[in-house]
Amino acid sequence: MNSIIICTIIVILAPFIGGLVYGIERKVKARMQHRVGPPILQPFYDFMKLVDKRAMIVHSAHAFLGIMHFIALWFAVAVLIFGGDFILVIYLHLMATALLIIAGYSTRSVFSHLGSNRLAISALAYEPVLILIAISVYLTTGSFEISSIFSMSTPLIAKMPLAFVALLLILPIKLKKSPFDVAEAHQEITGGAEIEYSGIFFEFLYTAKWLDYVFCYVLVYLFAANNVWLGLGLVAATFLYINALDNSTARVDYKQMLKFSMYVALPIAFINLLLTILK
Amino acid sequence: MKLSGYRKKSPWILHYNAGSCNGCDIEILACLCPKYDVERFGLINTGNPKQSDILLITGPVTKRSRERLVEIYAQMPEPKVVIACGSCASTGGVFRPMYNIEGGVDQVIPVDVYVPGCACRPEQIIDGVVTALGILEQKTKEIEKSHILHVAPLEEDGQVNRRHMAGTIKK
Repeated sequence: MNSIIICTIIVILAPFIGGLVYGIERKVKARMQHRVGPPILQPFYDFMKLVDKRAMIVHSAHAFLGIMHFIALWFAVAVLIFGGDFILVIYLHLMATALLIIAGYSTRSVFSHLGSNRLAISALAYEPVLILIAISVYLTTGSFEISSIFSMSTPLIAKMPLAFVALLLILPIKLKKSPFDVAEAHQEITGGAEIEYSGIFFEFLYTAKWLDYVFCYVLVYLFAANNVWLGLGLVAATFLYINALDNSTARVDYKQMLKFSMYVALPIAFINLLLTILK
Repeated sequence: MKLSGYRKKSPWILHYNAGSCNGCDIEILACLCPKYDVERFGLINTGNPKQSDILLITGPVTKRSRERLVEIYAQMPEPKVVIACGSCASTGGVFRPMYNIEGGVDQVIPVDVYVPGCACRPEQIIDGVVTALGILEQKTKEIEKSHILHVAPLEEDGQVNRRHMAGTIKK
């Protein structure tokens, strides 16, 4: 009963937690570049400003798909935190991405189309690896339920370290971080699929980005689910790793990203799967 | 709750080069670099007119860039401010008498802040942005509704002639 209340609170506060993570990230990134950086509450200032802007929409379906993207992502985070089905979580996350891809195609902007193409390709790059990780978890714990990970005696990272390596390799693609930020690519296609959103409708995409942080870091936390301090340490290390990588690398093109995912991340996840079967 | 106070805390910038010699552009980029680091005020160079609040324009308006400038200005949701960066953007500068130049930015769209200098220094640009933020806070959403055309838009080959439309806004 107690854990359900805690889970509910975390799910309701998920956008706020994600916003804080994003604020800290901007600060950490600035410090890495020897800059002062914006205040930690900066994402919330942006949020309040965007409420006040005049709302301009391309057409109603476009705006609606943006809102649904946010809601689907929140559902994915909720199922993940409540310890639901791993496959369902991956499916809901994919659905959120698919809604954004459709929204990008629904406008006439070329940049929007390019962004949608690239979003689809990055989904193709990380989704198989996630599925393989889910299957490995199933073979280790005997259940697709995420709550079964919490009841294990040893942390997941000790049983399948290669799966964690594979997750680390695809996280920059999921979070749209350099070197795999082809889907967003601000200097190239100025945001991709989100380019036509403005005002309060862009708010949903902006907040969905925060939810993505929560989603990814909870995935990382699952690898040490039964040990709170180990879990938090893993999350902090991953956070630093992603920001250092983002600051130190240049963008690769989508073909290189796909090749990297298919020839490096996917085989690692696959070897992990084989090792789990052999155990 | 008063939301207009938050405009000051997260100004997102759109930078448009209307025909500049690149001097002012480099100074704007210098503002974003670690030495001046304008991101500490929450400023982001978005490059997307639909999500930005401040339009930074460099260079004199050439005949070709005018319609793009007007279109970008129209695509920005209110409230918004326009900053003319550099002598050329303010008045036309040394390019003023040339055959392909329309003059300063204020010949085409309303300008809120003029930042002089050839090229304008990063300190001056930051000062201009801070002044613009004061203006941005004062603005209401109603102040800058879309302009009413005084002349019916000219149609050519089944399309509205944007160049002609830009000229009618000027009057």
